[in-house]
Amino acid sequence: MNRRITIGDALTAAAGSPFGLRFIEHDGRTLHVPYAALMTEACGIAASLLDRGLSNGDRVALVIPEVSGFVHAFFGIVAAGLVPVPLCPPAQAGDIATFAKQSQHIIQASRASAVITTSDVASLLGDGRNDADAGALYRHPPTVLLDELQSDSPLPAPVLVSLDSTALLQFTSGSTALPKGVSLTHGNIAGNVEGILGPAGLDARDGDVAVSWLPLYHDMGLIGMLLSSLYAPADAVLMSPVLFLKRPSAWLDAISTYRGTVSFAPNFAYELCRRRVKSSQVESLDLSRWRVAGCGAEPIRPETLQQFAEYFAPAGFRSSSFLPSYGLAEHSLAVTFAHGGLHVDIVDAERLVRESRAVPVVNGSASVRVVRCGRGFPDHAIRIVDETFHDLPERHVGQILAAGPSVMQGYYEQPEATAATLRDGWLLTGDLGYMADGSLYVCGRTKDLIIRQGRKYYPPDIESSLADLQGVALSGVVVFAVNHVERPDQVVAVLETRAGGRAEEIEEAVRRRIRETAGLEIDRVVLTPPGTIPRTTSGKVRRSETRDRLEAGTLVR
Amino acid sequence: MANSNADRFEGDTIEILKRLSRRPIEPSPDKELMADLGFDSLQILELVGELEDHFNIAVPLNSLTHIRTVGQIVSEVRMLASAESETPP
Repeated sequence: MNRRITIGDALTAAAGSPFGLRFIEHDGRTLHVPYAALMTEACGIAASLLDRGLSNGDRVALVIPEVSGFVHAFFGIVAAGLVPVPLCPPAQAGDIATFAKQSQHIIQASRASAVITTSDVASLLGDGRNDADAGALYRHPPTVLLDELQSDSPLPAPVLVSLDSTALLQFTSGSTALPKGVSLTHGNIAGNVEGILGPAGLDARDGDVAVSWLPLYHDMGLIGMLLSSLYAPADAVLMSPVLFLKRPSAWLDAISTYRGTVSFAPNFAYELCRRRVKSSQVESLDLSRWRVAGCGAEPIRPETLQQFAEYFAPAGFRSSSFLPSYGLAEHSLAVTFAHGGLHVDIVDAERLVRESRAVPVVNGSASVRVVRCGRGFPDHAIRIVDETFHDLPERHVGQILAAGPSVMQGYYEQPEATAATLRDGWLLTGDLGYMADGSLYVCGRTKDLIIRQGRKYYPPDIESSLADLQGVALSGVVVFAVNHVERPDQVVAVLETRAGGRAEEIEEAVRRRIRETAGLEIDRVVLTPPGTIPRTTSGKVRRSETRDRLEAGTLVR
Repeated sequence: MANSNADRFEGDTIEILKRLSRRPIEPSPDKELMADLGFDSLQILELVGELEDHFNIAVPLNSLTHIRTVGQIVSEVRMLASAESETPP
């Protein structure tokens, strides 16, 4: 089947099938919308958008907490030949000020011509006028309420666009320091979806039902679950992330009730189910049809998956269903899938750190367990290289590079960031890994990035939120993650403080501020005298050097 | 409203907060969930789920963005629970 088609063409094709989407909102309300009805609605929204003077290629931001509303608006934008820019809704963004600031930065960076939202959210979005950072440069585009996007004369079909035209701007975070919008064409998305649905991916088959609680403003939910189901076409059940986080059992209930066969989630979701679904509830679940239990978006802990499999075995869950995967937004979504369930490589911890080699452990040595992430897709390629971009042999750890139709066009209007990430057709993932027996194993990161519960946080944002901390005289601050193969990232803040303040008070103030602004609990606060943090000649802090020296015990002398 | 009812909402909410916290806490109405009690965004949604089950209420999505303190949660719960009980069967 030819799947190298635009999203609009995929919508038209799906509209001719008997399949559709079922939405489950945060309060449990459900709504079933066949693809045929979705296309009609989308074409109405599209006509209304075009009536407002928007034209081909214009970016349209959308910030809609309800699943159904988001999906309708998304396809309305696509059907009009416009480019959706999904934003994180307020309930998951931290405090309201952070939400407004992040949204404004993304709206500005994408040069969106309009923002589609709901009346509840519109009032929180603000207009940017009071934001000192955005200042006079910021001009807020018109806000359009989804309810108002109706038309008496809907488009007969989605506007035709080429496979090479931009389909989506995916902002990898609301980073205020540098909001980077991953620019994907229809061809990129179709190329990745083809791999996902094909035999090297989840091997889509008749009767598949996808069930997902993943946020639709992120690649895994949007491309992995929603668009893959559309291109298949297949039935999908899309649940509000808020409902899942309130009541993790709702995810498994939906898989049971709607006979779900395919569902993906980050490691923490499996952990949450194990911890919060009562054993009395397990017996009432039927997870026997769940043939693909995908796991990705954050480091995979073998224990988590093993414990999940044991706990839910009475409900018919099979550990062979696990499909560990590796991917990133810059590669549309997926890079590799690992068939055959969870496979763990047990390597010598010492040699991994000292020699960057993944050598199977010999009796008695300290070991690290690395999850197999599997193989890439047809028409795609993967390399492991050293710092000088020379290919490394098997079981040598280096940076993972990827090439093929799924690789993004670049970061939107960020030529420098793009040049640093795309080189001769290869995507520099910033992730570290090694190959063994043709499979990829991921074991770290080169980039300054913190990943918690599948969410990405950028150290410069957190550092700047600490800059004006009252009562703490800071001459420098560095925030970074210490990556562990088997454990979640440990987040550390190193602060240079002048003598005076009490250590416990400063520490508490720092923790408090990071919780308030980023919603992140940090693991360790290190107070040091001024001049401790290594800097470049231009005075910029050296984050990875600070981390390395702290770990080596040579930061404070 | 009867005083015993008001006490129940506050007392039960505080008990649930203590149970969900990963460290010992002393919640009082003026304490902020994130800043003072160390809750992250995930735990706040867990809390909302627990409160919904315990009091048989449904917390609207836009309330989630406004709730910061223990006192605000208690009054939200009280308002939602009394609206629920006034609804004819």
